Amino acid sequence: MNIVSTYTWCQFAPAFALVGLAALLILADALLPKLPKRLYAGIAALGAFVAAFFMTTGEYANLFGFIATVATGLSILLAFDYTKVCCESIAGNGNEEGTGEFYALPLVACAGILCLTQARDLVMLFVSLEVVTLTSYVLAGYFRRNQGSIEAGIKYLVLGAMSTGILVYGIAWYFGMVGSFTLSAETVYSALNGGVAGSPALAFGFLLATAMLFAGAFFKIGAAPMHVWIPDVYQGAPTPTTAFLAVASKAAGFVVLCSLILPYAPFATPGSLLGRILVTSIAIVAAATLLIGNLGAMRQTNLKRLLGYSSIGQAGFILVFFLQLQVSLEQNVYDYLLAYALATISAFFAVAMVRTQRGSEEIAAFRGLGKTNPRTAFLITVSFASLAGVPLTLGFIVKLKTFVTAVSAIQNWDNFCWLLVIMVLTAATGFYYYFKVLRSMYWEKPQPGVPALRVPLCTAIVLTLSATALIILGTLPLLMRF
Amino acid sequence: MNMIHNLPWLFLLLPLVVAAIDWVCLNKHPRLAATLSLLSAAATLGLCIAYLTGLQTGTPGVYTWMPCSLEQLCLHLGLVMDPLAMRMMLVVTGIGLLVHFFSIGYMKGDSSNLSRYYAGLSIFMFSMSTIVLADNLAMTFIGWEMVGFSSYLLIGHWFNKASAADAAKKAFITNRVGDFGFLLGILLTLGFFGTMNFADMAGKAAGIAPAVLTVTIVCLFCGAVGKSAQFPLHVWLPDAMEGPTPVSALIHAATMVAAGVYMLVRLQVSMGVEAFTDTACNIIAWTGAITAVIAAIMAVQQDDIKRILAYSTLSQLGYMVMAVGLLAGEAAMFHLYTHAWFKALLFLGAGAIIICCHHEQDIWKMGGLSKRMPLTVLCFMMGTCALIAIPGFSGFFSKEAILDAALAKNPVFFWIGAGVAALTTFYMLRLCIVAFMGPARDHGAEHAKEAGFTMALPLLILAVMAVISGYGFIANDLVPFNGFHAHGFALGLPFYVSMGSLALGILLALAIYGLGSRTKDPLAGNCISKALRNRLYIDALYDKVIIGGLQQGFAHLMEFLDMFLIRGIICQLLVWISVRIGYLCSWLQCGSLRAYSLVSAIGLVILLLLLANQF
Repeated sequence: MNIVSTYTWCQFAPAFALVGLAALLILADALLPKLPKRLYAGIAALGAFVAAFFMTTGEYANLFGFIATVATGLSILLAFDYTKVCCESIAGNGNEEGTGEFYALPLVACAGILCLTQARDLVMLFVSLEVVTLTSYVLAGYFRRNQGSIEAGIKYLVLGAMSTGILVYGIAWYFGMVGSFTLSAETVYSALNGGVAGSPALAFGFLLATAMLFAGAFFKIGAAPMHVWIPDVYQGAPTPTTAFLAVASKAAGFVVLCSLILPYAPFATPGSLLGRILVTSIAIVAAATLLIGNLGAMRQTNLKRLLGYSSIGQAGFILVFFLQLQVSLEQNVYDYLLAYALATISAFFAVAMVRTQRGSEEIAAFRGLGKTNPRTAFLITVSFASLAGVPLTLGFIVKLKTFVTAVSAIQNWDNFCWLLVIMVLTAATGFYYYFKVLRSMYWEKPQPGVPALRVPLCTAIVLTLSATALIILGTLPLLMRF
Repeated sequence: MNMIHNLPWLFLLLPLVVAAIDWVCLNKHPRLAATLSLLSAAATLGLCIAYLTGLQTGTPGVYTWMPCSLEQLCLHLGLVMDPLAMRMMLVVTGIGLLVHFFSIGYMKGDSSNLSRYYAGLSIFMFSMSTIVLADNLAMTFIGWEMVGFSSYLLIGHWFNKASAADAAKKAFITNRVGDFGFLLGILLTLGFFGTMNFADMAGKAAGIAPAVLTVTIVCLFCGAVGKSAQFPLHVWLPDAMEGPTPVSALIHAATMVAAGVYMLVRLQVSMGVEAFTDTACNIIAWTGAITAVIAAIMAVQQDDIKRILAYSTLSQLGYMVMAVGLLAGEAAMFHLYTHAWFKALLFLGAGAIIICCHHEQDIWKMGGLSKRMPLTVLCFMMGTCALIAIPGFSGFFSKEAILDAALAKNPVFFWIGAGVAALTTFYMLRLCIVAFMGPARDHGAEHAKEAGFTMALPLLILAVMAVISGYGFIANDLVPFNGFHAHGFALGLPFYVSMGSLALGILLALAIYGLGSRTKDPLAGNCISKALRNRLYIDALYDKVIIGGLQQGFAHLMEFLDMFLIRGIICQLLVWISVRIGYLCSWLQCGSLRAYSLVSAIGLVILLLLLANQF
């Protein structure tokens, strides 16, 4: 087997294009120091959106790639509105020096995600995953004058290295048991039947390898027990990077999980041992993730940290889709990710706006927004309502789908009622902590003397578009299929 | 992708999108908003005419709105395109378009936000079309609530006026009472018929116990009682006249209030008449009959031109509901259809008169209008003739159909119908004599001038419809009923009786009010008149006893439960427990890298052990 026979160059064209653009921007940053850095941000975001456009239909059609590129473009746009803080935290004294790469690097990470979506074997999967992760380490620690950012970078690096270690170990076991890196139903079939040697121990080793591979994916999506990095890194990393990690990088994790699990789908039919093992372990992980994410979020006062826990909790809900081991799960995961991405990105835009103008990322910094900026407050309300799953927002529809999946899993496996109970309880706690922001905006009086927020252009556009999309798709979910 | 079969969805999407645009983007451009709304109404009317004249685009797509693990519990969105629905759409979009057009003249110079007004009209068109085209009860219910919402917005359009804001609230809440029963009825239908889809209900009634059927139908009927303002929930309709008059014409006379009748007939058609047990039918018919009688009596002593028409609407709706109860859906829909045209005409005529008399609504301050605005008065008289069922006008044919059906089923209802017809003639002639004849009694009426073009044109079109729409050659093609066929007219008891009641009404009105020379009502001043003017004290009873006593007491009890039990014990306890567990989570999240790695590693080991255990 060689790489050319499994893949065509054409598959990676969008990824190459993005890497090329990133390289150009970094070169330009080094050679033309006079140009304003925001120009790079504009070009990089535009490049990402163009790539996303090509991924909607046709030759490069790519569901998860679309979400990842759009999220990358949006997080670069977020950096565009965030330049004041960027300059303070990178070069100091409002100097733009050294900020150019910060706008170009997300493109490289995004290219990694695009390769990841095409990966059909573990080598490609590993390499592209590392492209994403390594770039993210740099981005997380990029605000070198900000202690939190450096701490986040280090923590992410160490814990990420640990998860990479587990992943590589898993890959080694996989190769040892199967003799191939290919992820396909045939490989799984032969391994489950003891491979060439025909030994049952081989099947056990294969499952062990699978578990370790899953652990690598769990790290990316922030599922228990590999979620530990999320709160600290999300809180400390620069807000645009956090937005990237929360959406694009999470989408990458789900791509990995999907491509790891789908080869098992034909053999994991209801009633089979393999099916029971897979589904039970996913259910346990989902339940733990739901509990940790949602309960941990309850007492947070820092909005970025809260969104970190929220991203753990939402990942728990997405994991529930994996109880239904069919190809259709990809579509459901995509829908949920779309709803989550729209709402989360707007939330980060709001955080960035408040941080730039009020100097704080605490929930308390949002107080009185309902009075001073009623329209913006409404748009923020829509995104948090969608995260909580209020009817008539897209968040409700996708959460409803997770419940439908859980119910059909209960029917198929005659088990997992406990998971449904946990889902109901944790969905309820979601209302508690997401609505803390709304309480702060509407029920608390604005601080005297604090002026109304000035909403930057990109923030206004993104908040409006995503709130509109959340409401329209939430009232008429059937439009998602057009 | 060929989407032509989805063309009918434009009936819903067009007004909805226009409403959204009017509301969000065109707040500062009322003219543009008006044009857009008008165009969307015209486009839906055009589409409707195209379908009625034979356009075929195949079956419109059915979409799952809310997925569910059980197929029959999923909420689907689909459209029915049978004659009952499409011809009803003609009434809705036709009158809708005329009302949009009329509004341009009527609302000219109004200082309120007109974009909001047109957005409200468009959202009403969307909601009403949803009710008419819905292929299942859940979708009907969505439309049902949406018309309630749009009616709330439009009644309260002049929300600075306390009476308008109160009337909007009253309409909404009264409707909610009926809707509660309707929702129960829908759930019962789902439970016992196993489907909410109209197409699948046929023949299922046979296997269901009559008592269950009765309860189901009566619960569903509750929805109609609220929306079609039947006794005892009729109180909101007269107050709803606080809204702009074109709104009253469209929503509170021609279309929305008829939705209850439409829904009942739709159920009768799809469940089959055998689903309507005798008890249920009696309840429906008696409710209709009582409404018809008390509304007609109350109309006799009203002075406000719009309120007279509102009570007359109540009374006519009572006729239709009575016909449904007599299992004469065909007659009910016939009357709904003719009533829609002539009642819209009467309301728009009243609107033109009100505007020309400088917002004067009291008929005793009008007078002599037939000389000053002859065209409007002529159109109004056409509507009156149709309403009091003078032979040759549309109302005559449909009222005869109902009286025929009543005589065949139960003569009691026949005599009630005849009595109401006499009262109708009396109060309508009272209105016409006082407002149009004799000398002008106030400045407004003295300076009244003919209505402008935008108001006159809809009146003329509606006047034509009020005259001709009842004749067989038109009615057969336009009455919203599957396979409607106008009966041949025959002389007989119903004809003579209705002629008798017509003559009685005319004679009484002439005897009491003469030819318009009186300046105040000779019937006023006694205790009966006072009771009628106070709407038989029904509203007062609701206010004092039900709302003031029962509801407040219940509210206090619920507040106590809410504060003490739910908030105090359940919520606080749950929050306390969850926050403690949250502390545990954040204790693990202490910030130390070593602890993090340890947590991950231990977690993984536990997971692997659990897995190995499965073997």
